[in-house]
Amino acid sequence: MRFNKALLVFRKDWREVSRNWEVILPLAIVPLIFSIVLPLIVIIPSGAAESGSYESLTRSLPSTVQNELAIMTPQQVMLYITLLYFFAPFFLIIPLMASSVIASDSFAGEKERKTIEALLATPISDSELFLGKILVSFVPSIIVTVTSFLVYSVLVDVLSFTIFNGRLLLPNMIWIMMILGLAPTVALAGIGLAVIISAKVKGFREAQQISAALIVPILILIFGQASGAIVLGPMMVAGLIGGFAIIDLIVFQIGVKLFRREEILSRLA
Amino acid sequence: MSVIETEGLTKRFGRLTAVDDLTFEVREGEVFGLLGPNGAGKTTTIRILACLVSPTEGSARVLGHDITGDSLRIREVVGILTENPSLYERLTAYENMDFFAEAYGLEDQQERRGRIRELLEFFDLWGRRDDKVATFSKGMKQKLAIARALVHRPPIVFLDEPTAGLDPESAKGIRDLIEGLSHHEKSTILLCTHRLEDAERLCDRLMIVNRGKRVIVGTIDDLRTKIGGQPVLQVVLKEPNRKVIETVRGLKRVREVRTDDPATTLTITVDEAESASPEIVRSIVYVEGMVLSVNILYPSLEEAYLKLVKESQG
Repeated sequence: MRFNKALLVFRKDWREVSRNWEVILPLAIVPLIFSIVLPLIVIIPSGAAESGSYESLTRSLPSTVQNELAIMTPQQVMLYITLLYFFAPFFLIIPLMASSVIASDSFAGEKERKTIEALLATPISDSELFLGKILVSFVPSIIVTVTSFLVYSVLVDVLSFTIFNGRLLLPNMIWIMMILGLAPTVALAGIGLAVIISAKVKGFREAQQISAALIVPILILIFGQASGAIVLGPMMVAGLIGGFAIIDLIVFQIGVKLFRREEILSRLA
Repeated sequence: MSVIETEGLTKRFGRLTAVDDLTFEVREGEVFGLLGPNGAGKTTTIRILACLVSPTEGSARVLGHDITGDSLRIREVVGILTENPSLYERLTAYENMDFFAEAYGLEDQQERRGRIRELLEFFDLWGRRDDKVATFSKGMKQKLAIARALVHRPPIVFLDEPTAGLDPESAKGIRDLIEGLSHHEKSTILLCTHRLEDAERLCDRLMIVNRGKRVIVGTIDDLRTKIGGQPVLQVVLKEPNRKVIETVRGLKRVREVRTDDPATTLTITVDEAESASPEIVRSIVYVEGMVLSVNILYPSLEEAYLKLVKESQG
């Protein structure tokens, strides 16, 4: 596989995408909600908080964290749990949501706009094409995720600075592992599947509707964490990174294997 | 030397046989036409040869490479104008060309720029190079798509319906360009069309296909003669003259004489019309016929084509 050919597809697609407001808008709005709006609506009205509603999650946290929480005020417990644990899985949704439009558009959009045949006729191999299409969704979504995390960290630290008596809550080890390790591996798997779906279906809308189901595992993680059934501790995150890295490789192999130029052409709108 | 050879090429989509046992060859440097009505299997044939679709049966070689085993190599040596222009409308003309040039292996930026400029100037699009393709007319898009097909100097070019959907003026412009192109680029061109004027004007040889099957292959003149028959001599007289008709009918090389009403126009079927015409005119003048004009009428390709297509539909 020639990586420069995959990069060529990436550059071409990015040029197109960056000139399309329908695609750029979700890239800008999703992180805005998660990194600015969510912490604001949690921190500002947090004065009258009670820590009772977080008991199940608190009980499943490591003992070191439980000891830390024991000496906190109810407001501090509520903010600590919500901002550092409850919101963490939301940052796995950012790359999936931010990339969903681009990934769904990857092949389905080219079919709709009738540009696919000339692309398929080039001497770019199946794996190079597939990787290029993944990269154009992956790179911006990860940039957006990391940027959102930086904005979120600054906002959380600024707003909670006085509440936690000058202590900075973010970044911490788990969040760094999540943003730089778990989010990219989860995103790659989701994007890979979305690109496969995009190659198989006839149009963009169909691709997007089917790809929406890819967020379900992350929602399970959110509800699991909220109920205390799952806690994203360092070991858990490291294990998930390893697991998703393997899934990424499998998805890529399957994607290349399922890539059939003839089938794609037969589904031209 | 043949640069494209096919043997029993067949493609089925479920119950539909789009290409049915096609065997033909395209010689180096020629413009070879695939002529047939819509749905005749022309686009599928081009897609098979461009390695976009695999044949159900049969084999083909493009520049010596087997289409089933060496698809990447074949894609490198052919340029293709697809059924739709397949251009990225949010990109500029130059960006479109640049992407495809690099995709086809022109890695050096200077070389790419030079080649793109050469082609865009040839197609009169250099002045619009920085405009988005979305702002182009249909004819301009078609010109740009042809330029794109040539960007890597392919020895073989597939042109699928280059004038389809264009107004007569734009279609003529594209035909002029393709004609110039076959000399300028010295490529072998496989031209797919349902327009007779394209085939007649551009092709050295052509194959008529219908319902996926080969109907006939030959040069334009071959096809006219084989299907439409020999040229005929048309003599227009100033006034009807029965004696003239009888005299001409009595000539040795004349096989048939048809007349209109009131018998001023004689359509004469004769062996070798060109060489026979002086003798015929002399005979008419000898019996005091007054000749207004003499023309040799070649059978039109249109008549020949329609006759063939009708016959092949059985």
